[in-house]
Amino acid sequence: MANAVITMLNRPFESWSQAKRQGWATVLLAVVFAVYPFLTDDDSNIDTIANAMSYATLALGLNIVVGFAGLLDLGYAAFFAIGAYYYGIFTAYQVMPHWSSGWEPLAFLGLVEKVNQGSGDLVHFTLSFWLALPTGALVAGFFGLMFGAPTLRLRGDYLAIVTLGFGEIVPIVARNADSITNGAAGLNGVAGPKIGSYHFGVDATPYYYVGMGLVAILIFSSIRLRDSRIGRAWMAIREDETAASAMGINLRNFKLLAFAIGASFSGFTGVFFVSKLQVATPEMFNFSVSSMLIVMVVLGGMGSVWGVVVGAALLQLLQTWILPRSTDLVRYIGESVGSDWLMSADLVQWTQMFFGLIIVVMMLFRRDGLIPATRAQPKLELEEQHADVKRGGFVNVDRIPRWNPQPGNALEIKDVTVRFGGLVALNKVNLTVPAGGVVAVIGPNGSGKSTLFNAITGLVTAEGSIKFEGHELIGLRPDEVLAKGVARTFQNIRLFPKLTVLENVLIGEHCRLKTGPAGAVLRPPSVRAEEKGALRTALDIIGLFGNRLTPRANHTVSGLSYANRRRVEISRALASRPHILLLDEPTAGMNPNETLELAEQIGELNDMGLTILIIEHKLDVVTRLANRVTVLDHGDVIAEGTANEVQRNEEVLTAYLGRAHRAKIEAQDAAEAVAAGGNANG
Amino acid sequence: MTSGDLFLQQLINGLNLGAMYSLLALGFTLVYGIMELINFSHFNVFMVGAFIALGVLKLMGMDGQTVILSGLPLIGVILVTFVVTMFATGMIGVGIERVLLRPLRAVTGPAAMILTIGVSYILFNIILIGVGGDTRNFANPLPSITWAFGGANLRLRDVLIWFIAIVLMLGLTYFVQYTKLGKGMRATAQDPEAARMMGVEVDSVVGLSFFIGSALAGASGLIFGLYYNYAKVDMGFSAGLRAFTAAVLGGIGNVPGAMLGGVLIGLIESSSSQLIGQAWADVIIFSILVIVLVFRPAGLLGRQAPNKS
Repeated sequence: MANAVITMLNRPFESWSQAKRQGWATVLLAVVFAVYPFLTDDDSNIDTIANAMSYATLALGLNIVVGFAGLLDLGYAAFFAIGAYYYGIFTAYQVMPHWSSGWEPLAFLGLVEKVNQGSGDLVHFTLSFWLALPTGALVAGFFGLMFGAPTLRLRGDYLAIVTLGFGEIVPIVARNADSITNGAAGLNGVAGPKIGSYHFGVDATPYYYVGMGLVAILIFSSIRLRDSRIGRAWMAIREDETAASAMGINLRNFKLLAFAIGASFSGFTGVFFVSKLQVATPEMFNFSVSSMLIVMVVLGGMGSVWGVVVGAALLQLLQTWILPRSTDLVRYIGESVGSDWLMSADLVQWTQMFFGLIIVVMMLFRRDGLIPATRAQPKLELEEQHADVKRGGFVNVDRIPRWNPQPGNALEIKDVTVRFGGLVALNKVNLTVPAGGVVAVIGPNGSGKSTLFNAITGLVTAEGSIKFEGHELIGLRPDEVLAKGVARTFQNIRLFPKLTVLENVLIGEHCRLKTGPAGAVLRPPSVRAEEKGALRTALDIIGLFGNRLTPRANHTVSGLSYANRRRVEISRALASRPHILLLDEPTAGMNPNETLELAEQIGELNDMGLTILIIEHKLDVVTRLANRVTVLDHGDVIAEGTANEVQRNEEVLTAYLGRAHRAKIEAQDAAEAVAAGGNANG
Repeated sequence: MTSGDLFLQQLINGLNLGAMYSLLALGFTLVYGIMELINFSHFNVFMVGAFIALGVLKLMGMDGQTVILSGLPLIGVILVTFVVTMFATGMIGVGIERVLLRPLRAVTGPAAMILTIGVSYILFNIILIGVGGDTRNFANPLPSITWAFGGANLRLRDVLIWFIAIVLMLGLTYFVQYTKLGKGMRATAQDPEAARMMGVEVDSVVGLSFFIGSALAGASGLIFGLYYNYAKVDMGFSAGLRAFTAAVLGGIGNVPGAMLGGVLIGLIESSSSQLIGQAWADVIIFSILVIVLVFRPAGLLGRQAPNKS
């Protein structure tokens, strides 16, 4: 057993060496690309690859929005256009206000110059390419926030149509705002980049190297973001918004962040692309660009960084090499068989048809793309698969710090009412949970138990007052409730199915970690230390369940057994280091042995000082664990007391346990009374 | 023309556009109501419909504005064109559902929607490669009968478009409200699982909603041709987005809502191009889409679609 835990703790270092191998492969790839221009005489190849690089950067940006955060953005080219026009407007001879002395400081900085066009002195903007790259990213990122904000409340499919609309509006504005953008004709004479006195001009090679640098920066940033607190939060949102929110992720901020970072990648590329072409027209940024990017991401694999790069490369290859060569081949065949139809074929016209076919085929047969984002699952040794029913609670429990409950009530629920339309789901419910105690909520199905949990955790709006450690919880978002120390599990298990056990538990730690997007990319020592600590904590928590979870830490949770998924959900909640744990039917669907095992473990958590509020149907579990039991029926509290008291309560017996059980208890009581009477007589 | 005449003329134009958008919006709403899927292929089923109608008219000897019919031959030609076009696009819709979407029905996430984007591309390129990308003159066999109301003109064409749209919408309403299959459709929209258990053949209901939706898109494509006198391969995008906006405006999944939304979008388009300029019409309509989605996501008449979560 201890062996398995040690192996797990070593595993991060194993993946480090794997990372090293990947690092060498990347360096090799970079060297190949760096020397390629010296090996070819054909400038058009270099130009083609430089174009492919700009599409790869766009696809990488879209991958953050669509692949990581799961926000289907069909108007992504809008941000590309914004970056492109931003640079174009500030270098072309289009917008030229009259010169006045107020421009002198900018002229001194080299941002503008004075030109004379007969009718007087005018201002010509001369924004440097190298300054435009980061500022273009900022400008596009700002628009990402603007476009993202109204769409935040929308479900995924509406988001697609609204972004499609935005993607259409931006070229329309570019077409109609003649005075700034020169309308449909487009901006001409956009300045190329220069370094010192060296102008890039029309030769493709310098653009090739700049493009290579951009791709490298964006791949690096994407991978760093993916493997950080930020990336995990995005993937959690993609997998299950409700659970992500309940695990402490601020949905609004993280969705906006995805939009902004994705948009800034695109703005970055827009500046590069337009400086290379030296023109910007509205047609360069219409829906067909957005959808080509979607094809790249779908082909490579949504959420897979290398996948989308490969997808971009393949599509570029298809357009510039495969289709023209196939056309030659078809024509050659046509010549030899004497078919006019084949001789006049032009497969390049079919490019977009192939885009459509690629989407359809990938969606039907390989939805995860050519290089799926989810890694292969490590095989388990026989010993690791074997799991005896464990008795006596957790393993290695000393790795987890104990809780110190302060005396008094942890949770005080007063007069809480929840209405769904005309239905009163909870009616002036009162409940207190003493710090360090275990309170169970029981009641028939539909009595409002889960609604009570949803009210506490901010998933439904409630009236009344819910105070936790003195803080009012009503009106807080689920992530704010978690930050106050209230963590929960769900009745119908809401894990993040495509993520691994370890990633699920790490997401539970989200609210306790601090890494921001810049820290995630740059990874300073403080961030490294935080990640390492988070990993250790997650492994310690998973390790509590012995070899139930530890050998499966790198498995996606969708492949786990039902009982193991329950255990992961409890681990995930524990990872937030809550002061109170809300368990919604934790043993549902478990067999008696597994139920007993889990009940003991929950009891042990309580022994360690954790306050617990539990919904449970199995009375033996309730009797074993709970100090107090509250019974709900039709939204009303009908009884409150110890497990034994409520089991003998008239109303409870009729409402919840049914007549048969009531008869049984009454018979028991009668028998006890007879026995007692007999003793007294004897 | 006085401003009153101008208003009347824009009203007439708006109602024509409205008839077109309503029919197209019904296809979005039917499919969304039952499968909670934004069907992007619908954009180009509409476009293909216009080209099929163009072909049918050509087969019957109609080309450009050279042949003008009246009386029974006119009614016959119009009827045949509508029936053939609607049947053909209906079958395209059924084919897309049966062959491509059914295997994905159990798959969660955006896969089905992304697939319809691919299908839309394929339809677009079939026409682009087969027919070409230039503007095609759409045959119009209607005699130019015009009634003048002050400065505004009401043409026979307008009356015909309204008549056809009203007949189709009444037919659909009757079908959904009063027939057994229609009841099955409404049941499936509420809860496919429960409907299946109650003996509704969900597969045929889904297929049927695709047939009806796509057939109406075909009719809408034909109306586009009659109204604008042309067909072009890229006509589907903008009309489709407006029709989708109409469906959302009326309340997605809601059949009368799509009709109302379509008419409103038609009127908004004609009046905004009058007041602000044609170039900005799209911007105004998409702004409406965003505003509705943000402030009243259920639309004007209420959303009627399953809530998968």
